[in-house]
Amino acid sequence: MLLTAVGLAGSANAQLPGLSRRGPAAPVLQGIDGLRADFVMRSGGDTVYFGTDSAVLGPPARATLAAQAQWLLQHPAVLVRIEGHADASDTRSHALAVGARRAEEVRDYLVLLGVPAAQLGITSWGKERPGAGRAVTVLVR
Amino acid sequence: MSKSQRSIVVGFAAVCLSASASAQQPGTPAATVVAIPPLATPDSGQKANQSLAIAWQATQMIASDLRTTSELMPLPPSQKDFYSYPEVTAPTFSKWRSAGAKTLVTGFVQSRSDGRLTFGCYVYDVEKGRELARKGFVVAGDEWRRAAHKCSGLAYSAVTGAPGIFDTRIAYVAESGSGDGRSRRIAIMDSDGFDHKYVTGGQAIVLTPRLSPKAARLAYVSFAGGQPGIRLLDLDTGNERPLLAAGGINFAPRFSPDGSRIVFSMMNGTNADIYVASASGGIPQRLTTSPGIDTDPSFSPDGTRIVFESDRSGTPQLYVMSSDGTGQRRLTFGSGWYAAPDWSPDGQWIAYTRRGSDGRRIGVIGSDGTGERTLTTGPGDEGPNWAASSRDIVFQRTDAARRNQIYRISIDGGEPRKLEIPQDGADPDWSGVMD
Repeated sequence: MLLTAVGLAGSANAQLPGLSRRGPAAPVLQGIDGLRADFVMRSGGDTVYFGTDSAVLGPPARATLAAQAQWLLQHPAVLVRIEGHADASDTRSHALAVGARRAEEVRDYLVLLGVPAAQLGITSWGKERPGAGRAVTVLVR
Repeated sequence: MSKSQRSIVVGFAAVCLSASASAQQPGTPAATVVAIPPLATPDSGQKANQSLAIAWQATQMIASDLRTTSELMPLPPSQKDFYSYPEVTAPTFSKWRSAGAKTLVTGFVQSRSDGRLTFGCYVYDVEKGRELARKGFVVAGDEWRRAAHKCSGLAYSAVTGAPGIFDTRIAYVAESGSGDGRSRRIAIMDSDGFDHKYVTGGQAIVLTPRLSPKAARLAYVSFAGGQPGIRLLDLDTGNERPLLAAGGINFAPRFSPDGSRIVFSMMNGTNADIYVASASGGIPQRLTTSPGIDTDPSFSPDGTRIVFESDRSGTPQLYVMSSDGTGQRRLTFGSGWYAAPDWSPDGQWIAYTRRGSDGRRIGVIGSDGTGERTLTTGPGDEGPNWAASSRDIVFQRTDAARRNQIYRISIDGGEPRKLEIPQDGADPDWSGVMD
C-alpha cells in the first residue's frame, strides 16, 4: 500500500513537476481519530466493566456492546482490538488470564450479535495497566 | 561496573549484617561460627603481590557471602591471621577453638602461566580437627569473584548439607516511572548484586523472567507482538525467538529441572490451560482441559510432577499432577486464593501467594499438603521464587504507592530484607547454581 502511494507520487512528480510545490494534501481526518470518536459517541462508550474476579457481562455491558455491534456492522472495514484488564490486586499470570477471558467474553458476545469475527482481535493487559480497572476496552485500530 | 554500583553493593552487605544479627531471635538455632583466615598464595615476587591482593578480596567476599545466610556466622577476616601456603592444608585448630569457631575455611590463589587463576578451598571441622570438604577451581583472572562464591558454596554445603546459593543469578523486571506509563526491562545480576545488566530494551512490556536452571537461557513474557507471548533468549549468544510459532495468548513459562522443556499457560477461548513444549521448539502438548483458569505451573525437582494454580473449584487453589497431565489432585483447601506456586529445589516445599480480603502474602506448604504456614505480613506480596538452597525465597512487594521492590526471606522466619537494585523491581527469579 505504502509502496503504491510512493510510486504514484513519484510518477506524478515526474509528469507534473509543479505539483510538488503545492504543499501537503489535506489530512485524512476521517482516519483513526475520527472513527474512534464516532464509535465512542454512537455506542455510548468503548469500555465495559465487570464485577470482582468476574467475566460475566451485566446488562449495562450488554447494552453498550449491542450499540458497538451495530456500529461495527455499519463499518465492516473497520478492525477493532478488544483489550481485557484485571485487578491490580490479582497475581501476575492469573491477571493475564482474567483479562483474556473478559476480552473473549466480549468478542463472543459481539459475534453472537452478528459482527464478523475477522473484524475482532483480542489481547489481555492483565494488571499491567492498573488505571483501566476491571474492564474491557474495544479499540478501533 | 561503576564505582557507584559497587558502593551500593557494599551497602547491601552491611545491611545484611545488621539484618542477620537481629534475626537471631530466641528459639532459632544458633548460627555456626566460621573462621576465614586470609587466603594464601604459593606465588613469589611480583605475582605474589597480585595474587595476595585478589586473595584478600576473595576472603572478604567469602565472609560477606556467608554473612547473608542464617545458618553461618563468619568471624570478621583479619589480615593478622595470615596463613602461609603450607598451613592451608595443615591448619592449627586450637586458636580457632578458643575464638569460638566451629568451622574453618582456608584456601589459596595461584596465578597460572596462561593468565588464569587456580583457587583451592578447604573446609575443616574445628572441634574434630578434620577436613570436611575441598575443591579447586580454575577461572579467568577477572572472574575471581565466581571462584570466591564457589568457596562460599563449598563451606555452606559442608555445614548445612544444602547447595550454596552464592554462584547464582537473579533475573527480575526493572521498572522506572510509575503507573501505566512505567518502562520495564528485564535485568539479570549475580545474587550478590554484582554484574547487573539489562537484557531487553524498554520498548515492550515484559513480565515474569524465568532463568533456565544454570542461568544460560531466559524465558519471559513480552507484549512486543501485540498479545502477551513467551519468548526465549539465549544469554550467551543473544539469540531470541518466540516459544511458539503460532498460537493464542501464552504466558507463565517455567523451565523443567533439566532445562529441556518449558511448561506454560495458553488461552483456549475463555479457558487458560497448562501446556508443555520442548525448549528447542515443536508442537506443545496440552496437559489440562478443565474449564477455568489453570496457570503458573512449576515442575518438581525430579521433573515427574507439576504444581499449578486452578480455579476449577471456584477460587484459585493449588493442584499437583504428573508431568504428563494425569493424576490431578487438589493440594490446598484454605480460604482465599492460592496462586503462583513454586516448587522448592529440594522437593519438600511449595511456596505460593495467598490472597485474602486484606492483601497478598507469601506462604509455604509441604509438597505432601502438610505444614502450611504464612511467611510474610503483606499486604502487597506476590511471586515467590526459591533459592537453590531451598532455604531462602525472593518475592515482589508492592508498597502503598504501587511501587514494586524485591525482598528476600528465610523460611526459618525473620524479617524480609530488601534487595538493593538500581530501580524498582518486580517478578524476581533465582537461578540454580551455575557450572
